[in-house]
Amino acid sequence: MQAKWINRLLLMPATVWLLVMLVLPLIFVIVFSFGERAPAGGYIPAFSFEQYANLPARFTAFKNTLTLAPLGTLAALLIAYPLAYYLAVKANPKWKTLLLVMVIVPFWTSILIRTYAWIYILGGRGIPHLLEFIGIDGVRLINTPFAVLVGIIYGYLPLMVFPIYVSLEKLDKRLLEASADLGSPPLRTFRQVTLPLSIPGVATGCMLVFILLMGEFLIPALLGGGKVFFIGNALVDLFLQSRNWAYGSAVAATLVIIMLVTVTLYMKLVARVGEQREDVSIL
Amino acid sequence: MSKDYKDNMPISRQKFIEELRRYEKGSVSRRHFLGVTGLGFATAVMAGAVPGLRPSKAYAGNLGDKVVLATWPNYHDEANFEAFTKATGVNVQVNVFGSNEEMLAKLQAGGSGWDVFVPTNYTITTYVGENLIEPLDLKQIPNYEASAFDPRFAEPGTVNGKVYAVPKDWGTTGYVVNTKHTKGKKLTTWKEFWDITKTDFSGRTMVHDYQLTTIGNALKYFGYSFNSVDPKELADAEKLLLEVKPHLFAINSDYQPSLRSGDAWMSMCWTGDGKQLNSDMPEMEYVIGKEGGEIWSDFYAMPKGAPHSAAGYALINFLLDPAVNAKEVLAHGYPVGDSRTNALLPKELLEDPILYPAKELLDTLEFGAAATLTDPNRAELLARFKSA
Amino acid sequence: MTRPNDIEFTNVTKRFGDVVAVDNVSLSVERGAFFSFLGPSGCGKTTSLRMIAGFDQPTEGDVKLSGQSVVGVPPYKRPVNMVFQHYALFPHFNVGDNIGYGLRQRTPQPAKADIDRQVSEMLELVRLSGYENRRIWELSGGQQQRVALARALINHPTVLLLDEPLAALDRKLRREMQIELQTLQREVGITFILVTHDQEEALSMSDTICIMHDGQIVQTGSPTALYDDPVNRYVADFVGKSNFFEGKVVEADDHGAHIETASGRAFAGRNPRNAISLKNGSSAVLAVRPEIIFIASPKTGAPSNADVEAPAVIRNRIFLGEQTEYLVEAEGLGEVLVRAPKHAETQTGGFNPGDQVLIGWQSAAALALEDA
Ligand SMILES: Nc1ncnc2c1ncn2[C@@H]1O[C@H](COP(=O)(O)OP(=O)(O)OP(=O)(O)O)[C@@H](O)[C@H]1O
Ligand SMILES: [Mg+2]
Repeated sequence: MQAKWINRLLLMPATVWLLVMLVLPLIFVIVFSFGERAPAGGYIPAFSFEQYANLPARFTAFKNTLTLAPLGTLAALLIAYPLAYYLAVKANPKWKTLLLVMVIVPFWTSILIRTYAWIYILGGRGIPHLLEFIGIDGVRLINTPFAVLVGIIYGYLPLMVFPIYVSLEKLDKRLLEASADLGSPPLRTFRQVTLPLSIPGVATGCMLVFILLMGEFLIPALLGGGKVFFIGNALVDLFLQSRNWAYGSAVAATLVIIMLVTVTLYMKLVARVGEQREDVSIL
Repeated sequence: MSKDYKDNMPISRQKFIEELRRYEKGSVSRRHFLGVTGLGFATAVMAGAVPGLRPSKAYAGNLGDKVVLATWPNYHDEANFEAFTKATGVNVQVNVFGSNEEMLAKLQAGGSGWDVFVPTNYTITTYVGENLIEPLDLKQIPNYEASAFDPRFAEPGTVNGKVYAVPKDWGTTGYVVNTKHTKGKKLTTWKEFWDITKTDFSGRTMVHDYQLTTIGNALKYFGYSFNSVDPKELADAEKLLLEVKPHLFAINSDYQPSLRSGDAWMSMCWTGDGKQLNSDMPEMEYVIGKEGGEIWSDFYAMPKGAPHSAAGYALINFLLDPAVNAKEVLAHGYPVGDSRTNALLPKELLEDPILYPAKELLDTLEFGAAATLTDPNRAELLARFKSA
Repeated sequence: MTRPNDIEFTNVTKRFGDVVAVDNVSLSVERGAFFSFLGPSGCGKTTSLRMIAGFDQPTEGDVKLSGQSVVGVPPYKRPVNMVFQHYALFPHFNVGDNIGYGLRQRTPQPAKADIDRQVSEMLELVRLSGYENRRIWELSGGQQQRVALARALINHPTVLLLDEPLAALDRKLRREMQIELQTLQREVGITFILVTHDQEEALSMSDTICIMHDGQIVQTGSPTALYDDPVNRYVADFVGKSNFFEGKVVEADDHGAHIETASGRAFAGRNPRNAISLKNGSSAVLAVRPEIIFIASPKTGAPSNADVEAPAVIRNRIFLGEQTEYLVEAEGLGEVLVRAPKHAETQTGGFNPGDQVLIGWQSAAALALEDA
């Protein structure tokens, strides 16, 4: 009896938070998505599927997002894994803390400022200017999909590095020696022992980055010169420029549904992989 | 602005202008930037005198200790706010916004907490229609002397015979071009703007992230009205925009940094930015397309239920004091329609062709229309353009 | 009959920065031997083992396996396998996959049926038949230990390395596993190299024990040789219990020495076999094992063959079942530990703290040792 009350008390703040910050807005979004845009912008209550019928008008934005989010996640993973591996396995313990701090330090500054810095690094006075010194002229980096990718990898790298680092760090190094002892060369040991045991970290990192990328709007706007258009950007424009709340809500609700479906499928997949590997510790 | 006129000025402020330039060059918080980030709440509390400092006679009465102003980035002389605080004991809290649409969105959502805001001409009828603003009690703004103001820039503030807004300053939307890259050719039209973008300037042109001007100036290519909502005309504009998009450097209203760094060579541009760029880089030429384009006027207005309305009135009145307003002009670089203020400004500034374009150019310009702002088709067109 | 050597160290030194973990060690291990490294923590046992496995490379000297130098050969190319201290079983594999791991690393890989067959043979060997599909965390410590053994043995290594394999088990299980390991070694007939700091374990299982101290070998020999003829005080102290009486050598020859203690009394002791003779005037110890000391009541008197005698008072008595241990305060000797076998106790009826007794020993059974 008493324990039950304590449980409820402990869960109270989180429950209230979830209700107010997640469930309530979501209900608003769903209700609004069936409404209509007022002539001067805003929302008129209604019950119509018109907004949903109009979704194809943002097809490109959905397509871009659904291409970028997995690609960006993959790119971040490919860069983060070796880095996390180095930090957890190879780095001299003396420097480890320092190196870890260096991975976190950028987080102390706003993502805005950091992304803005990239505008200058990739802009005409940055890297392309340096390239001119070695005789490579006319390279344009800023406002290209490449710049967006660079910004995304930069911005999301720590989110990917940390979960992987943690799972590699707690990996018992004697398992690697055991594998070598039983006749497995380093690369095979990596494939058969290190990689499977770091899957929980990889799964967490991918999930974090993927979900956040689905709503990303800042980096494409700043480093893509507004020419690379994602759902996040579409939403900003719909709410802040055309003030089409009804349509914006329909787009947002669709994004949430797509996200829920992908994440559920992904979790199932990861759990299956985990089961095959007979490791219950995954996720 | 050259150094020569400093002695003619009512107040010595050359040093201040230099400071301002530096601030603006390094500034990251510009219109588009705020627009795309949705961060139109960059808030700064103007710290000043402690509340309770003896108020001057002009502002006798209880004004409270705070007033909230929603305005545009780099649009005021901060020294003026400090002076206001000194005189009245009221601290000015400034909320900076990226677009009229965003301001409207915030007021529509309710609970803005603003006392004074700075809408552009074409939005005012919408605010009135939506019942979001109050007619002004002009008795509380003695510094607003209607007869001193150019009616062209004051009239949009009056709706159905009631004054809802008083003029702040005005400007034009043309484009700025780096003449180092034009091979001696002089650009004078919007047609040239779009054509050169597809050829010599491919990858070097910027347009606003903003339907009004980007679509409006594309319409001008065909000689249509800047404000057109005609589906056939919009279809032509869309075709042009989609054709040009691969050649654009960026769709971004924060164009100064890219133009200064040399990455971009040409951009749609407002008066003040054109003036600032031209002062620092003489090769930057401000052009008003012969076909026309936008002329606009910004106002001071008060939202319904402003929490500190007395202080709001005091602030508007203070900023419209010609001596104060002159300082404002020197800070933001936009012309005002107030003859009393102009009398205090240096002659060079009043003759500057960027601030005051030739009459034949001015005559072709159109004020943005309320219908243009709220037209859903134009909004959708811009979304298609951006996502193409 | 001499058998070929499976392992040979020639002047092997291993340094980690300033730390000398193994210092100029030379040794050889016969094929099929049960060989143990014994010594206190940090003496270099694990490091020696790791150099055989290939995880560490010697800084100086040569390591040979079956006559071939293996310096620079990575672990996965060596015909030795290891049972790790905490087993290091793969948590993401079940028991069967853990044991079959070694087979799966071979090229070409054996057929699945073949692997399965060998895995179940191994499970049978370690008495865990039918455990193939168990998860690692479902096993007890002893079972995990056996899986680790099976995993290491499946590749039929020429040498099996065991790093404190029983340290994590409770006393009773440890005894059982010690016997099992010995049986297993006889069954598979390969060389076992055991690292332990438990002298009992080393004494009960090994053919040969190598006692290490500060990275160096102090003595290598059979358990009896080490017990009966420790080369110095360190070994005598480490292998079994002993009373030590410190003093100076007053008279020495090839067979033994007389050592005069602080009390002025001189005692005779023999030299251990294979040890160098003590020098006159050098400091030395007389080592007397507690079980060779007699304890008697003054009434009964000393046994006839005793040539050292001293009156003493019982301070403490510990009953150990098979024997009883007394701590006595002896005149001119200080505290002395004495072990009386059960049958002796039945004769005397035992003593209690405070009792006046007589203790002593035969000089031929006492050792005169270097005080190191
Ligand atoms: N990787 C290493 N880096 C630095 N020093 C090491 C390393 N490995 C071992 N040492 C040092 O070498 C010495 C011998 O270590 P080793 O592990 O061989 O001892 P051990 O006899 O196995 O001790 P224990 O019974 O405690 O396991 C110790 O002083 C240890 O601190
Ligand atoms: Mg060890």
